[in-house]
Amino acid sequence: MDIETLQSFEWGMMAPEFIILGVATILTLLDLFLPKRFNRKHLGWLAFAGVLAAIVSSVTLIGHDTDSILFDTFRLDSFAKAFKLLLLTGAALVLLLAVDYEPKEGMAEYRGEFFYLFLAALLGAMMMSSSGDLITLFVGLELLSISSYILAGLKKQNLKSNESAMKYVINGSISTAITLFGMSYVYGMTGTTNLKAMAGTLASLSEQQHIYILGMAFLMIFIGLSFKLASAPFHMWAPDVYEGAPTPVTAFLSVVSKTAGFIIMIRIMFSIFAAVPTGGQEAVPMLFEMQDYLAFLAGATMIVGNVVALRQRNIKRLFAYSSIAHAGYILVAFTAMSYVMFDSIWFYMLAYLFMNLGAFAIIQLLTANSGNEDISEFAGLYRRSPLLAVAMAILILSLAGIPGTAGFIGKLNIFMGALMVEPAHYVLVSIMIAATVVSYFYYFGIMTQMFFRPAAEGQGKIKLQTGITAAIAICTAATVIFGVMPQLAFDFLQTNFNQFVDFMQ
Amino acid sequence: MENAWLIPLFPLLSFLILLLFGRQLKEASAYVGILLTLASLVYSVIVLAGRLQGPTFKTEAGWLQIGDLQLTVGFEVNQLNALMLVIVSLVSFLVHTYSKGYMHGDERFPVFYGYLGLFTFAMLGLVISPNLLQTYIFWELVGLGSFLLIGFYFYKESAKQAAKKAFIMTRIGDVGLLIGMVLLFWQTGSFEYDDIFAAVEAGEVSGTMITLTAILIFIGAVGKSGQFPLHTWLPDAMEGPTPVSALIHAATMVAAGVYLVAAMFPLFEASETAMMTVAVIGAVTAIFAASIGLVQTDIKRVLAYSTVSQLGYMMLALGSAGYVAGVFHLMTHAFFKALLFLAAGSVIHAVHTQDIEKMGGLWKKLRLTGPLFLIGTLAISGVPLFSGFFSKDEILISAWTHGNTFLFWLAVIAAFFTAFYMFRLFFMVFAGEARSQMKNVHESPVTMTAPMMVLGILAIVAGYVNTPWFGTFLGDWLVEGNGHGHTEGPVWIMLVATLVSLLGILLAYLMYGRRTMERDWLSSRLPITYSILYNKYFIDEFYERSFVYGAKAVSLFLRFIEVFLVEGLLKVVVGLVQGLGRSGARVQSGQTQTYGMAAFLGLAFLMLIFAITGGYFG
Repeated sequence: MDIETLQSFEWGMMAPEFIILGVATILTLLDLFLPKRFNRKHLGWLAFAGVLAAIVSSVTLIGHDTDSILFDTFRLDSFAKAFKLLLLTGAALVLLLAVDYEPKEGMAEYRGEFFYLFLAALLGAMMMSSSGDLITLFVGLELLSISSYILAGLKKQNLKSNESAMKYVINGSISTAITLFGMSYVYGMTGTTNLKAMAGTLASLSEQQHIYILGMAFLMIFIGLSFKLASAPFHMWAPDVYEGAPTPVTAFLSVVSKTAGFIIMIRIMFSIFAAVPTGGQEAVPMLFEMQDYLAFLAGATMIVGNVVALRQRNIKRLFAYSSIAHAGYILVAFTAMSYVMFDSIWFYMLAYLFMNLGAFAIIQLLTANSGNEDISEFAGLYRRSPLLAVAMAILILSLAGIPGTAGFIGKLNIFMGALMVEPAHYVLVSIMIAATVVSYFYYFGIMTQMFFRPAAEGQGKIKLQTGITAAIAICTAATVIFGVMPQLAFDFLQTNFNQFVDFMQ
Repeated sequence: MENAWLIPLFPLLSFLILLLFGRQLKEASAYVGILLTLASLVYSVIVLAGRLQGPTFKTEAGWLQIGDLQLTVGFEVNQLNALMLVIVSLVSFLVHTYSKGYMHGDERFPVFYGYLGLFTFAMLGLVISPNLLQTYIFWELVGLGSFLLIGFYFYKESAKQAAKKAFIMTRIGDVGLLIGMVLLFWQTGSFEYDDIFAAVEAGEVSGTMITLTAILIFIGAVGKSGQFPLHTWLPDAMEGPTPVSALIHAATMVAAGVYLVAAMFPLFEASETAMMTVAVIGAVTAIFAASIGLVQTDIKRVLAYSTVSQLGYMMLALGSAGYVAGVFHLMTHAFFKALLFLAAGSVIHAVHTQDIEKMGGLWKKLRLTGPLFLIGTLAISGVPLFSGFFSKDEILISAWTHGNTFLFWLAVIAAFFTAFYMFRLFFMVFAGEARSQMKNVHESPVTMTAPMMVLGILAIVAGYVNTPWFGTFLGDWLVEGNGHGHTEGPVWIMLVATLVSLLGILLAYLMYGRRTMERDWLSSRLPITYSILYNKYFIDEFYERSFVYGAKAVSLFLRFIEVFLVEGLLKVVVGLVQGLGRSGARVQSGQTQTYGMAAFLGLAFLMLIFAITGGYFG
């Protein structure tokens, strides 16, 4: 590749990625050379500014035509634009949590690390959303994963944090191995790593043996990637890791990392397997033929997440199971593959982002001081701080999917999508509704704590910090706004992304 | 009528004001709530007057676009909605006023009024919704308001449990409603009541589907209206403050189920099976709850079972094609049952106990509450000339003319029970001598008695809007333009109804009033029956043993799998790799292999299925 080729690429399409990369580099250098006494908290605000700049630059790119550079490895299509915005918004909110994170053990001396590792992880996720090639997809995935492993163990003096990082890295490696094994089959069948080229080659496949192998590859890739979603059967790491990791990292894992998981899942599955013919009487692509397997996993995920959550007393473990359950709900939309699938996944992710991050912000606020993560920490919150309790109530209602909140609209969309396809997924929808009802038990357990329990003795006022207060306010407001006026989000999708028709172009 | 959407917003405003400034306002919060609900009431009356003259008004705007599907929001003022608006805002206003006295001195006074505002907002929003989706949204909000208010005395463990139980039990019904609603949407392409009815009328929906969706929607109504078998939450909900019981668990929210069936009436009418289901569940609930009411000793619980039973009557009416009868009884019941609850609250306020065994002789001490309670009791017992007499008569006529002879007789027996247990309650509370030490028993303040008087008047006169003697104004108006039909029946039914209610009163008088009959002459002869009734047919125990243990068992089972099965497998594997993994295992708790194992097993399982099914498609 000579310099002219390089110059001929329209690098502006990668502006958000460059901004994040640049800020991450600057932060690394600053952290290295700034004196020890300099409060690394300020680096957090710099990172936050960087993410905001990336959001702005992504927004300016919305009107940009669908295009690709670097020999079709970097794509800028509606899918990339829409989901990148989600990643960036989530990251910005997590940073608001992170600047105010001051655990008892103290992590002042390596606090700077958090911010640039965080940006590196974010960069990986963003690359994934724009990838048109298995290699870049995989590199993005690993960038995200490896940064996350370190982030989980950032409380170096804390045994649980160490344990969490260790478990995360081991499980992550297993998942990577499975995914890669699956990918290697697909590569073997096509001789290329470019998604579009793969789809082209696979479309003319007719040998049943080959299709059989691709079916195995499908399962392996799906199971491998389900690690990132924390969905069954690769969900068991989540509670341990969520519990041990610093709260902002847990928030990151449960929202941004999960979104990234769905991004890569959709990219790979829809690019490759939607093109594979199955050779039956009717020309149904393999992706649709595998719906039963996906439905099974989605159902199992919802059931396991919600049922096991019932027994949790630790609030972070409880939210880990809750986040498993939410992955299951989104998988329902994925399984149904209706023509509103992209819209409903995007909206659900948006709603989930706000409600879950808001909840984590409040969890961090309540648990950081006392170090107690038992659910009883919420007791009497309404007496101690009514506004905080009302905010938490709204967020929980949204997580439970009660009307008037964004969570309800998200679930409604998924129901609709699952029932509008032929044949409709009645069973899956029923499981989803039943699982939702089970979730009321633990969500309302928290509500009961907040409203109907007296506060424990000796609990003083809750100290509100700037960043975290802003995060709670934004999340709560957005949860209500998108619950009452969901059309705002859907209009945005429809005017700008035209139902993601350019996904396969 | 164009601005009817403002009606729910007044209480919402009250909720928001009290949320923000409640702490500063303290007990002045009451005025905020009272004035704003008064505004709703005045506006509701204006809207009702407008609807009496004008046609139905409906307006809608786009809300949400999913793919090609357009969902709308808006409001509608038809006969049923206009009537409900007045009932809800009136009772709410009266309860707001009453609570000023009842809740006086409670340290969470502003919070109480805030919750009341939230509830009233949701309930008013529910009754003007023009489509199922909007109805569902408010339906849930109403449940939330009820949850918060039942658990208001949160320091009582029982109140906390009751709040949770109420929310979850009604949610079970809501699952049915949601599924029914979504199914209807896919059959007719719309959530709009009008569109759905048009599609049903035009025969676009198959008969089976109509029956299925109607029954699913009815399940939602069963949960909300405390019908058998989802009724157990309603008596427990009495843990909430008494004004709340009057507003939510007597007059408005629990009637929402009946309202829903009435609002969806054309759908139900299209399916004989669905109608039959509604009628049977209604009649069974009516007699079932009435029989439990016979032996309860908590004043509010007696009233709660009576509410369940009366709601059963309404369902029976609707299921017997008695649209007018059902709605009519909904209205009269709202008034006399709210009256009874407020009067009961006044009694509790005076004597600080809810146990009727400890009361007695209060007639002389509560000179206002006593007569008002008597009016309510007469009305609910169906004594001629009181409102309950006319509406209950309508229901019996509907059941008879619709050919449900067996259900008709069930309802007649339930009417006998009702008269008996209500007068048993009355005599035990007000007649005879006090059965325990009562100090400082005094009449309630005027803020409490005034609302009761308004309701007392309504409990008498509300029946005259629809009588066989002076004309059936309400009925004619309600069925105008929708042809739901109105039924006339033989005169002997009225005589039978009068007779059984007088019989019930007489028996109660003999046993508890004059005490010429031994109180336990029945219970001593039928000890098993008494025990079954006293324990409410052991329904709660049954649920406890089956569902709750069932859920726990599933949870334990999964945990068992996680801990023993997977870990057991792990132990085998660990035994093999122990030598290699000893150093690495030190950092871990020894479980992380399990996680990887689970993933592998999952993958292997799917692969196996894939291999067995051949992996070949088509």
